[in-house]
Amino acid sequence: MSRGSGGGYDRHITIFSPEGRLFQVGSKAAGVTSIGVRGKDSVCVVTQKKVPDKLLDQTSVTHLFPITKFLGLLATGMTADARTLVQQARNEAAEFRFRYGYEMPVDVLSKWIADKSQVYTQHAYMRPLGVVAMVLGIDEEKGAQLYKCDPAGHFYGHKATSAGSKEQEAINFLEKKMKNDPAFTYEETVQTAISALQSVLQEDFKATEIEVGVVKADNPVFKVLSTEEIDEHLTAISERD
Amino acid sequence: MLSLLPKDFEFFITMGDSQYSFSLTTFSPSGKLVQIEHALTAVGSGQTSLGIKAANGVVIATEKKLPSILVDETSVQKIQCLTPNIGVVYSGMGPDFRVLVRKSRKQAEQYHRLYKEPIPVTQLVRETAAVMQEFTQSGGVRPFGVSLLIAGYDDNGPQLYQVDPSGSYFSWKASAMGKNVSNAKTFLEKRYTDDMELDDAVHTAILTLKEGFEGQISGKNIEIGIIGTDKKFRVLTPSEVDDYLAEVE
Repeated sequence: MSRGSGGGYDRHITIFSPEGRLFQVGSKAAGVTSIGVRGKDSVCVVTQKKVPDKLLDQTSVTHLFPITKFLGLLATGMTADARTLVQQARNEAAEFRFRYGYEMPVDVLSKWIADKSQVYTQHAYMRPLGVVAMVLGIDEEKGAQLYKCDPAGHFYGHKATSAGSKEQEAINFLEKKMKNDPAFTYEETVQTAISALQSVLQEDFKATEIEVGVVKADNPVFKVLSTEEIDEHLTAISERD
Repeated sequence: MLSLLPKDFEFFITMGDSQYSFSLTTFSPSGKLVQIEHALTAVGSGQTSLGIKAANGVVIATEKKLPSILVDETSVQKIQCLTPNIGVVYSGMGPDFRVLVRKSRKQAEQYHRLYKEPIPVTQLVRETAAVMQEFTQSGGVRPFGVSLLIAGYDDNGPQLYQVDPSGSYFSWKASAMGKNVSNAKTFLEKRYTDDMELDDAVHTAILTLKEGFEGQISGKNIEIGIIGTDKKFRVLTPSEVDDYLAEVE
């Protein structure tokens, strides 16, 4: 069974274009922006909580997922793909703990996610997932860790990063803030993340309009902040300015 | 090709591949495999890397330009170890490189288990190249978007091999890949001597990288791997790289 022309460099499957790039792995239309910041001994991720319809149950709209008690994942992009990824990541982390007797480290989970994404870019029958995953946790040896994995299979550790529609603007903002390798405290980390999002989207948020997830070295459990806790930080930011 | 992937992924392969039981890499009327040409283009737009074989060792090096200063450079290592006495560097697509590293490490280990002997460099190169060739001919997959420089030291002395996306490989005295390949190769042709020592080779490698380097070169934005008569491949620490850089000034 031949494949017909194939002269259009099939945008539908994962083969090379003449420029040496892969069509399918390009931008993912999000509409939502997310930010992650790594402090001295804590990590904070923030994302917009856009509830498109007032009739929707707000509590069911989330992009922030615990993978284990100690690892969190912020998924920016297609929510359905995000849920698949989270499901598989949770399974993998649980198996790792069972097999090896210790918690799956942040970088190991991120590599697993990235390697899986690479497979989708090389095998025609599966499309890449439309999700950028930010994984956060406290590593026993290396301390606070923030990793970002993209659909192409790239993954890096970050001091701060962003994903989604205003990704580039956010990165420019964060580069200025993190230029001299500041060692942020927990409060500074959270406030940098939230104020970065506010600055880039040019709006002041209410606590119900954003989701915030944190890990701290003194209690390395992944935690999603409640609306009250988010409010405290928002107030602190507005008083500071 | 099933064993290329970690166990969890194999299920997906057996499920979906049948619909793609034809190769995506097909001949053009002029007799070229166009997908391989495009893969080479992907390599050519990758960051510069190079290797030099000295009389008593091999050095491989690469630029390590990260997408933003926000990226933690200690979380990234481009030069990888395949066995204690064989190292590898790439130009092109990072994610594809990781797959090949994983596969090569496994092949090396399987050889050792069978023959109770470390795998010779040529054998590992041959097997890695065979994997890359498979992906130019098997159904439903695309070629790897990387070229590899494999450096090793075994009973046949120091060796340096380059493997391309097509699966073809050659032994080199010195070679370069990626963005600045033509300038780098010209530079290497002028500077290379058969009786170079490893230290000289490291200096030459640094100078070659410096030729096409945009910005300030330092131990944080290049990586160097060496293997000497001790037959132990290792990646230099950023401070060791800085020391060599100072010597070169």
